[in-house]
Amino acid sequence: MDSKNIPRGLKIFSHFGLPKPVGHTVKGDIHPAIIRLGLLFSEFRICGANARAIATLTAFKKVIQDYTTPAQSSLSRHLVTHLSPQITHLVAARPMSVTMGNAIRQLKLEISKMDFDMVEQEAKNSLCEKIDNYIRDRIIFADEVIQDLAGKKIKDGDIILAFARSSIVEKVLLRAHEEGKKFSVIVVDSPPLLEGCKALLTTLTNTSPNPIPCTYALLPALPSLLTEVTTVLLGAHALFSNGAVYSRAGTALVAMMAKGHGVPVVVCCETYKFSEGVMVDGFGKNELAPSKITRSTGDSINVTPSTNLEILNPLYDLTPPTFITAVVTEVGLIPPSSISSIPLALGKSTL
Amino acid sequence: MDSVVTLRPPDKASALARFDIYPAYLRRLDDEQISTPLAAILALTELIENSNADTMFELVKALNDGAEELKRRASNPISLNAGCELFTAFVTLFPHDSANFADLKRELVRQGQKYAVEALTYRRKIAELAVGFIKDGSVILTHSYSRVVMQTLLLAHERKRISVFVTEARPRGLGIKTAEALTAAGIPSTVILDSAVAYVMEKVDFVLVGSEAVVESGGLINAVGSNQMAIIARAANKPFYALAESYKFHRLFPLSQYDLPSHHSKILSFPRPETATSLAKDEHGKKPSVRITQEQISENNPDVDYTRPDLISLVFSDVGSLTPEGVSQYLVGMFAG
Repeated sequence: MDSKNIPRGLKIFSHFGLPKPVGHTVKGDIHPAIIRLGLLFSEFRICGANARAIATLTAFKKVIQDYTTPAQSSLSRHLVTHLSPQITHLVAARPMSVTMGNAIRQLKLEISKMDFDMVEQEAKNSLCEKIDNYIRDRIIFADEVIQDLAGKKIKDGDIILAFARSSIVEKVLLRAHEEGKKFSVIVVDSPPLLEGCKALLTTLTNTSPNPIPCTYALLPALPSLLTEVTTVLLGAHALFSNGAVYSRAGTALVAMMAKGHGVPVVVCCETYKFSEGVMVDGFGKNELAPSKITRSTGDSINVTPSTNLEILNPLYDLTPPTFITAVVTEVGLIPPSSISSIPLALGKSTL
Repeated sequence: MDSVVTLRPPDKASALARFDIYPAYLRRLDDEQISTPLAAILALTELIENSNADTMFELVKALNDGAEELKRRASNPISLNAGCELFTAFVTLFPHDSANFADLKRELVRQGQKYAVEALTYRRKIAELAVGFIKDGSVILTHSYSRVVMQTLLLAHERKRISVFVTEARPRGLGIKTAEALTAAGIPSTVILDSAVAYVMEKVDFVLVGSEAVVESGGLINAVGSNQMAIIARAANKPFYALAESYKFHRLFPLSQYDLPSHHSKILSFPRPETATSLAKDEHGKKPSVRITQEQISENNPDVDYTRPDLISLVFSDVGSLTPEGVSQYLVGMFAG
């Protein structure tokens, strides 16, 4: 065996294990909707915290409708055990996002609160309704409120900087444009996913009646552009109790540079993305992009891993709260230091 | 304050005549002790007295319309806004289980007037709290004229020895009023130039200012010059304390100086350059000089500025001494959800 040809593996981030290979192995009795979802996740066809949470919940609705309680057991006790292998399959395809985790936790709570005596079909319908309400209240309606609040901070003549593609930032910009505000956008992007180009830029330049004037740049061009920028709008994958923002890799750089130039940094985030933990850096929790995605940028230089070369592509990074000016949630604009008081304000003991 | 509240009977004449809230507001402001948010709250209680709304929905709408009217006509809408929002939120959340709507209106008016009376004691509470932070022999720097700072300094003078530097606070020159009042009370005080704040900062023990509003970010909105003072205090490592009554806490979140509602296009604008023909040279070949008046200067300059929360050490309020982060947690707890 020629030892020179075995790749040595990543030295740092090796605690995340190797990037998951795109496998079609299915262990156990998995619902077809979940198999389909797992495939879409691992191919990065569904990307983004909100999209993944909505897709997961929609798939679970199908699973719940197709489920039958075995004899000698009750829905409220057995359904959770039934869902566990489905969740494991999704996690095997791609590590779970914080939004999916929060949504699933809420779902399990609702299942355990189900009335023992309820007829099975009624219980299933009630659960599906609760899932619909969760999506509607905490994602769709929350987004509407955030569009309103963040839109108020966009004035005529502003130059807004957006990084990669966040579903909520896209909605905010489109809504402000619909309201007739005249502003321009700088879209800053970074490989390997290049979401800014493929998704955000196309949407913004295709608005009718007149497209939003946009500039597209890659991350290294940021310092020269920041002198022109009025506000930086960022999305988030998750928000931690200490006010730190966990978002697409590159966000921390944008926030840090903007702060250095005195440009306000506004993060748009729904409250269901809050996580009760505390994070201080991007090493404890992260995800590595699989090599399939890395190679899809279509350059002439195709970097392949060899004995002396490994490709490292973390998908997320952590922005410390000191770089953030304001967080826009559906309960209002709050400074990052006050994140922990939101659950109390909402009348909940947990998120 | 009367303990008996009478509602005017809705006769045809008053039903047709619209209650004008702005003169009512100005009338309330005549009382020296009443600040703008309290005057707004009292003006809104008068609106309820004169309103012929029959449902809560109509009443809240009338209150919102009244608040909009005040905001439009008053020159400084920020602290006024804080008072209006506080009162409207109070009315909306008030338990309306009384069968008679007129009874409810009477109760609301009574509560409003009771709050105003109680609010006048807030300045004393804040003074008591702040005096604990003033050591004997302190040298204090303050800005412009603030009633709550005056009360604190006078209270401190009763128990300790203090000396005070006051900035002139151009263009309105209210700092002179502060120095005169302090000297009359026997406190050694001097007026310093606004440009001499950095010069004097090393001699000062701490900075004490009042406020127009304390905002959601934990920052401060106060007479222009406060931000400057806070930056210099931070550079010289001196504490910067702000005194604010709880009705001045506002849900505004300015992202920068120019994101304030009081910012308008005339501030920091350049006057239109004179065209060549109008500045024709006279017979001696000299151009006529351009005169800039003090009035023009006041028009082109802001009245208030925004101080960032990281520059403020503590905010003293009737709800206690809060850090800037604590202010936003208080506001989120009160208004969110």
